[in-house]
Amino acid sequence: MRNGLLYIILREWKRIFSRPDHYLVLIVLPPIIFFFYAFIYNKQKAEDLPVAIWDEDRTALSRQLMFMLEETPSMHITYQISSMTELEQLMREGKIFGAVHFPKRMEKQIKSRHPVNISVYTNASNLVPGKLVYADASKVLITAGSGVVLQKFVKTGMSPAKAMALVQPLKLNIQQLYNPNYNYQQYLVPGLVTVALQMMIIMVVVLAINTEWNEGTMLEILPKANYSAGNIVVGKTIAHLGVSWLNFILMVGVLFPYFNLTRDGSTFQLFILFNFLSLACIGIGMMISTLANDTMLAADVGLFYTSPAFVFSGFTFPRWAMPWYDQYYAQLMPYTAFLDGFFQVYFMGLPLHYAQPYILKLLLFIGVTFFVSVFFLHKRIQKIHAYATA
Amino acid sequence: MQPPRTRNHTTWRLLLREVQMIAKDHSLLLTLLIAPLLYAFFYGSIYMNKAEEKVPLDIVDNDRTGLSRTYIQQINNMQMVQVNQFTNLETAMENMRTGKTQGFLMIEKNMERKVMSLQQSTVTLVVNAAKFLPSSDLMQAITTATLTVGAGVRLQYNLKQGYNNDIALQETQPANVDFHPLFNSGVNYGTFLLPGLLALILQQTLLIGLAGGTAAERQKHTFYDWLQVANGNYSLALWGKGLFYFVLFAVYGYFFMNVNYSVLNLDRMGSSFQLSILIALFILTLIPMAMWIGMLFKSQLLCTQMMAFSTYPIFLITGYTWPISELPKGLQLITALLPTTPFINVYTAIVQQNASMIERMPAVVHLCVLWLFYTVLCIWKMHRLAKAGSSSLIVLHEK
Repeated sequence: MRNGLLYIILREWKRIFSRPDHYLVLIVLPPIIFFFYAFIYNKQKAEDLPVAIWDEDRTALSRQLMFMLEETPSMHITYQISSMTELEQLMREGKIFGAVHFPKRMEKQIKSRHPVNISVYTNASNLVPGKLVYADASKVLITAGSGVVLQKFVKTGMSPAKAMALVQPLKLNIQQLYNPNYNYQQYLVPGLVTVALQMMIIMVVVLAINTEWNEGTMLEILPKANYSAGNIVVGKTIAHLGVSWLNFILMVGVLFPYFNLTRDGSTFQLFILFNFLSLACIGIGMMISTLANDTMLAADVGLFYTSPAFVFSGFTFPRWAMPWYDQYYAQLMPYTAFLDGFFQVYFMGLPLHYAQPYILKLLLFIGVTFFVSVFFLHKRIQKIHAYATA
Repeated sequence: MQPPRTRNHTTWRLLLREVQMIAKDHSLLLTLLIAPLLYAFFYGSIYMNKAEEKVPLDIVDNDRTGLSRTYIQQINNMQMVQVNQFTNLETAMENMRTGKTQGFLMIEKNMERKVMSLQQSTVTLVVNAAKFLPSSDLMQAITTATLTVGAGVRLQYNLKQGYNNDIALQETQPANVDFHPLFNSGVNYGTFLLPGLLALILQQTLLIGLAGGTAAERQKHTFYDWLQVANGNYSLALWGKGLFYFVLFAVYGYFFMNVNYSVLNLDRMGSSFQLSILIALFILTLIPMAMWIGMLFKSQLLCTQMMAFSTYPIFLITGYTWPISELPKGLQLITALLPTTPFINVYTAIVQQNASMIERMPAVVHLCVLWLFYTVLCIWKMHRLAKAGSSSLIVLHEK
């Protein structure tokens, strides 16, 4: 039995490294896609986004504010405009992501105790640049507004400390844990890479059993596997798990250090969690491959099943904001459970026991899919065996 | 040069040939007829609610006074925040670690006393920034609530100084920031993402299906039959086969822009006529591109596998989610070769910003250039394959 299992493992490795529909997906694509994703976000943060200034005040104060806005990381003043029409036109032409409007007599009104409204316009159909421009612009303008209030209180003879306490009675101290700089590369790349990995595993394993039947090579391995469905499934699983380790090494040993994406958490714990994802994906692929004899159909099912994993997992848009039926559907994909654990083990550097509920979910995938695969393959082998002996 | 009548007849024969080929191939049927509609509703439904609400937050209230209760009430009134529980620091930290909350707010002891005696009090907001959207929404909501409470404190102070209500209010906040998010007034994630997502579904199902179908021509050795039906005219072969996809995906485009937009409550601001022209131009560019990609493969399965992995990379570099100017120079070149880049640029401007094609003319020209580029590339590849095929036939014949 041990020799049979070893034969299947070695044979599957040979298949993986010799068939283009296997090695292109499992060996050639991963480094290309992983590095591609990392390069997209190599700047890590969007900076110097073009914005316009609509200055109707034209005073020292408005110039000072302009200078402060230009100093922020996200904004770069590229246009001076004079009307709302011009502002909207530039946005429609895609030339600016935002604009700030200083109204007429702004400085004068502030000095004469009349409140003024400074408007910040963003192109909110471009969400990321729009949010960055708003965050930086509002920070500058609120600080400037607070400065005006502070000066007024100080002028009344109040001590600067007390004036500051009135300007900002509640000082909000924000601590952003686990990605304090809102680095897009650190946030998105690990998620995109792992979602690509689950897709790669499933898209190849869906061909593990059906191609053997279709190409007539199953008869070659049946005697070696002692006509045991379990031996075939376990042997192929070990082979694919081994290849997934190569990609894990590529991810944590090459990509993460090269792009400085390595986190505080234990790599070994991440490896354990990754193995549960790999096994769940192999199980799903094996189940599809056992049930769908047509390889193109199996590939289509694999594609349809894996491609929405990223959006359903809640990585960029939280699951609680999705309709209830989508929340349930998300649970039908192993990547969802993996991602919850991945956040804790990789992003937050927490011990593996925090990921226990998600590991249990992945174990459920593994149990069900492998059982179905072995059961149906066993039935088919029994039929063949009975026919052959008859 | 064929007379127009013969050309029309050949085009019709190529179209019928394509319909028969798809009808026999259930993988193509699935990709071309079922997947576009299913994906459009399936993916679309995720963002149906448009924005997240009620981000769970714990409160560690070490003050427990009237002011801290007012502050918490202010936070609780916000749609974006859902106060999970009032607890101690350890439990709040643990709740964030286990994912029950996205952060916690810690109010220091003696906050009210400090504020009343004109001393600044510190409140600490801890957020899990591993997830961008909930943490940034929490920060924005809590900052607003804190500024509002701060303004309330100043108002009370001004009233105590003897100012009347109006003056006190003016003195409280001499410079206000008015936020005007244009073209997506709710700054919703769904409103932002859905138009692009629908365009991507239209593109990827066409690319995967047509490239797969073209690869199948090579795999099943029907490539020369295809050229033969087109009387050896490459252009006719391209557009005769492509006509079916043009009609089918134009119908999908119309369906997405009307039915899906309506179901998902999306505004379509610009001109329907210009949008139709743009979508037609986009499909016309994708058709030769897909055929060219398909001709690079001898196996339908391999082609489908490779195309499956193109979806996310294409979407991420077209400038929709991440500005093109922020991409490395090499990637900007690849981006320029994708029809999605100029299409998304003009399409979002039309549907979300009420812009016209003239306002985005450089992108329209870019798309036209890509149409020409992929047409030439596709015809060149056809010519090469036909030449390679005829030379191998001669070799076989000579043998």
